[in-house]
Amino acid sequence: MALFTLNPLTRKKVNRFKSIRRGYYSFIIFTVLVLLSCVAEMLVNSRALVVHYNGEWFFPTYGAVIPGKKLGLDYDYETNYRDLEAKFEQEKDTGNFVILPPIPYNAFENDLRDGEYPPFPPSLETRHYLGTDTIGRDVAARLIYGFRTAIFFSLILLFVSYLIGVSIGAAMGYFGGLFDLLFQRIIEIWSNIPFLYVIMIVSSIMIPNFFTLIAIILVFGWIQMTWYMRTVTYKEKAREYVMAAKALGASNKRVIFNHILPNTVSIIVTFIPFSIANGIIALTSLDYLGFGLPPPTPSWGELLSQGSNNLESLWIVSSVIVAMTVVLVMVTFIGEAIREAFDPKKHTTYE
Amino acid sequence: MSDPMLLKVDDLKMHFPVHGGIFYRQIATVFAVDGVSFALPHGKTLGLVGESGCGKSTVGRALLRLYDPTDGQVLFDERDITELKGEQLRELRLGMQMIFQDPFESLNPRHTIGDILEEPFIIHQMGSPAERRAKVLELLDKVGMPADAVHKYPHEFSGGQRQRIGIARSIALKPKLIICDEPVSALDVSIQSQILNLLLDLQQEMGMAYLFIAHDLSVIKHVSDQIAVMYLGRVVEIADSEDMYANPQHPYTQALIASIPVPDPRQRKDFKPLQGEVPSPLNPPPACHFVDRCAYVQEICHREKPMLRSLEDDGHQVACHFAGELRASQR
Repeated sequence: MALFTLNPLTRKKVNRFKSIRRGYYSFIIFTVLVLLSCVAEMLVNSRALVVHYNGEWFFPTYGAVIPGKKLGLDYDYETNYRDLEAKFEQEKDTGNFVILPPIPYNAFENDLRDGEYPPFPPSLETRHYLGTDTIGRDVAARLIYGFRTAIFFSLILLFVSYLIGVSIGAAMGYFGGLFDLLFQRIIEIWSNIPFLYVIMIVSSIMIPNFFTLIAIILVFGWIQMTWYMRTVTYKEKAREYVMAAKALGASNKRVIFNHILPNTVSIIVTFIPFSIANGIIALTSLDYLGFGLPPPTPSWGELLSQGSNNLESLWIVSSVIVAMTVVLVMVTFIGEAIREAFDPKKHTTYE
Repeated sequence: MSDPMLLKVDDLKMHFPVHGGIFYRQIATVFAVDGVSFALPHGKTLGLVGESGCGKSTVGRALLRLYDPTDGQVLFDERDITELKGEQLRELRLGMQMIFQDPFESLNPRHTIGDILEEPFIIHQMGSPAERRAKVLELLDKVGMPADAVHKYPHEFSGGQRQRIGIARSIALKPKLIICDEPVSALDVSIQSQILNLLLDLQQEMGMAYLFIAHDLSVIKHVSDQIAVMYLGRVVEIADSEDMYANPQHPYTQALIASIPVPDPRQRKDFKPLQGEVPSPLNPPPACHFVDRCAYVQEICHREKPMLRSLEDDGHQVACHFAGELRASQR
């Protein structure tokens, strides 16, 4: 496909996108964050990155559970690497050492201490940089794993809903007639069903997991893209280059895939960042209301609801709000820059 | 060639339904083309002229089956093409092609010139990739474009160059008939003649027939062997090019030809422009379509539809009840 390769118009758009600084930098930072979240196990984890014990090397991050006895501790369950680190430090001169991730807690463990009740405030000493939540789980860890959940949730949702929306919308716009009429009425009826009630009903019957939640949101989420694609396809279909292709004898398939779709890409791309933001917001609000992913899945919505119930532990709610604001603002900047860069007024040449 | 006529159109009708309301029922009909008949010999040019909205472009598109005609018969190469489907329809496109009006719109902005010109061969599965590329270069050369245009995109060219590319695309399959849908009306006057001469040269070289649709009478005169004048979905007069200009019979044609500007300030014509507007094709007059604007209108014009009829044996046909008489009265 000559979509992203050489077309100088596309290159112009990319250059223009790069020239919009705040969008471009947001894009870079956001991409880095998403990539880093893919390897979050190496940054935020209760397992050590590297353990050197009696001349042997261990890399526990992605491997199987290493029982405590193997590393010179007196128990059979999984090694607590923070304790191990403390022990190695006391022993000294044995050459044994542990390298822990920057945040040495995972998102599920309760770091409880004698004589104190969580939530614990942020502290460098305990390495809970953003404190813990009400049951002693590290806020930073939950925030980062929550980000990963939210972002992949939105990306999958985006991909599937665009796939459905683009196919149905393009078919509606291109074939028109009865098919179009039927789907218009279906969409009109469908979009009047109150989304939140359906979610509440469904989650009272079954506990949604990651994919069922995507499916439920998809049931309503395909409509927007379908509507846009229908309009755009209608517009493109009436243009003369489509008629020229038909006059040459091009099949419907060829007209749709080689002529109409490439000309609608800029519109689809413009919507992507806003859809990502919407996906994050949808998941967070559902989790906040308790209709989202089941506990103990780390999620922003769950942190937000905890934080707002424990306003005296301000570190919980403030970290989520800051994280959400930063991510959503970045996504919006990217979206704005894309919209600006793809603005057809800047690229259409009429002589 | 048993039949000298390449294309015979008989009573072609193209009506578009207008839908509305909750149930999307048909609430009206646009009579865009309402009974058009003409014939076009091999290798000749028929000019189809008329003002905007008279249905001349619709005729072209219906002939190419971009629209499905409501009624009538179209014989192309002695074959009725109004009912063709699927594979047969695709074969038809080998014999008949179209040049579009707006060269800025008719080339896909996302394809290179090479892609655009190669597409006809891909669609009709002709030749290997290497042969196709060679043919593309040959086409570019034929329309006077440099070979390095292959890798460029439409927006990098001027209107005239783009129209050359459009022409190259239409001759790619070596059709017998090309429907030229106002091919020069979007271009500067200085470029119009270049494109027209290119079309005439190509016709001489390749021997195809043109159905040349235009609203510009001087352009039509330059290229056509025969001219058909359309008014509100019907042909009102057909004649040989010279004859039409020298001896117009229908009051509409007379008014059109009288309106051609003469580049001579001393020769002031005593010319009355047509009054009124073209009636809506949603609701045309019942009999003669020209009644509302005709200076010679009589009672019969409201009652009876005038048929195309020959006055003499020279192929000059007019659809007017008083054809032949009007000229006398005018002088």
